[in-house]
Amino acid sequence: MRLTHRDRFVLFAPLAVLLSGWLVLPALLGLFATFSTYSPFSTSIHFAGLSNYLAVIRDPQFGVAIRNIAVFVAFAVPLELVIGFGLAYLLRRPIRGRGLWRLLLLLPWLVSPIANGVMWHFLLVGANSILDFASGWLGQASVASPIGDARLALPTIVAIEVWREAPFVAFLLLPGLLSVPKELWEHATLDGASWIRQVYDVALPSLRPLLLAITMLLVGLSLGTLDVVLILTGGGPGSATVTPAFYSYDQAFGVNNWPAGAASAWLIAAAVFGVGVVYIRLVRRPASR
Amino acid sequence: MRTLRARRRRDAIIRILLLTAALVAFLLPLTWTVLASFGSLPDNSTRPPSWKGPITFDHFREVGIAEPSFWQELATSTAAAACAAALAVLCSFLAAFGLARSRFAGKSLLTEGFLVLASLPAMAYVIPLSDLMRRAHLADTFAGVVLTEAAVMTPLAVYVLHGALRQLSTEWEEAAVLDGAGLFRVLGEVVLPLTAPAVAATAIVLFVLAWNLLLVPLVLTSGEIKTVPVAMMDFFTFERELDWPTAAAALVISLVPVAILGGVFHRVLERFSLDARVGA
Repeated sequence: MRLTHRDRFVLFAPLAVLLSGWLVLPALLGLFATFSTYSPFSTSIHFAGLSNYLAVIRDPQFGVAIRNIAVFVAFAVPLELVIGFGLAYLLRRPIRGRGLWRLLLLLPWLVSPIANGVMWHFLLVGANSILDFASGWLGQASVASPIGDARLALPTIVAIEVWREAPFVAFLLLPGLLSVPKELWEHATLDGASWIRQVYDVALPSLRPLLLAITMLLVGLSLGTLDVVLILTGGGPGSATVTPAFYSYDQAFGVNNWPAGAASAWLIAAAVFGVGVVYIRLVRRPASR
Repeated sequence: MRTLRARRRRDAIIRILLLTAALVAFLLPLTWTVLASFGSLPDNSTRPPSWKGPITFDHFREVGIAEPSFWQELATSTAAAACAAALAVLCSFLAAFGLARSRFAGKSLLTEGFLVLASLPAMAYVIPLSDLMRRAHLADTFAGVVLTEAAVMTPLAVYVLHGALRQLSTEWEEAAVLDGAGLFRVLGEVVLPLTAPAVAATAIVLFVLAWNLLLVPLVLTSGEIKTVPVAMMDFFTFERELDWPTAAAALVISLVPVAILGGVFHRVLERFSLDARVGA
């Protein structure tokens, strides 16, 4: 239907109020505040230029956080995509009780990140841990928790996040896979194409926009990884699992260094927007193949 | 043809085997937790490890003793997530319809921009938000939590609903307009019924997302209003020597509402599609 001006106003106003009041306005005010010495309980505010940002960038702890999140994103996102795609691909053809399979495989994503952290704490640490149980069966002595090991802590966090997010990726990918025209699959099958060829020639080209969108979500949310770190390791051991979001949280609400917290939060946002620009460029360019 | 059928059969068996393996791997941690909540714990000191503990419901009762306000928090969480999801879907549905029926330069940029906004981690904006909400006297109120959670989730909802609405043929709308229907009648009597599955699926996904939010309610509240994730966080950080079966019971309880929702509406959930260019 053709919308009148009044229609447009009615349609867009609620969203505009909600988004500007609770997301855009705070974000922008926060951005301005990072160029000053503002903090909620300080009495005098003056212009500080880029000094808040420089202080954050010079903080070695933040450097470690950047390194950790780079490792995290580089491993977690591809693993989530590959495992999620694998699950969706297995569910592509009708099987008995597909609805139930789908639901059961979505369960890990339904667990809240915080409950997830609590759960894995007990699964990995202590007398009733799954690790000790497994090593007991293998006749080994009890194993030390990987969370307490500086080299294993970050890979463990990655694994836990993959466990939680891969099912969600499968959930998002399956409708896309199911909507690939049947003839395309049939052609490939009759041509005797292996399943690898089918994935490359049929599935991936049709799923390109969807895969890009999912990747955008995963990268953005991974860059803000906080909940699991907060509950499971508190950034430790040492600073082996400090992420930028944890750094920001800790600065703002832990040690009351508001300007550093806000400035590092804006660096995370800037990174996400950077990824967003790449995403929009990729999604608007039709597949080159 | 025979070889093709044999191959199909073999493929089907491999598929079932792989799916079963995946299911075991993904559900093992949860099964462990559910068993623990019923008091069934492994005894790792024996060789080989054995299972101990009679099945009991006591740990579910202990949750209420260890955290006296747990049931209250459960109710708050449910109400807040439901209100936030409803509000977000309402605002997003209107805007997505407006977007789908408008043509202007930069429209696709705006639509994709919503997805980028949806990818923005909460940490990027909660610090100033907590400050602003305190100044607006909305901190630590139910309304404040609901409005913020709704705002945080609208970008994803707009993106998804725009995808669903864009594919809708305008025929029925035009017919209704010719009959003299205004905007709200077109929306309520034509557009909404046609997109109801997608709208319902979006609402359910948003409910799960809202239910699981930690950072937003954490920084907006200071005790008056408490959601389950915040309570868990407090509980776990202040009393690290938490008893595992009790924690497991709390965990199972917090999973039950979303699992039931998913179970009842799993047919509807299949209509959740992130991308505008796929799905029917």
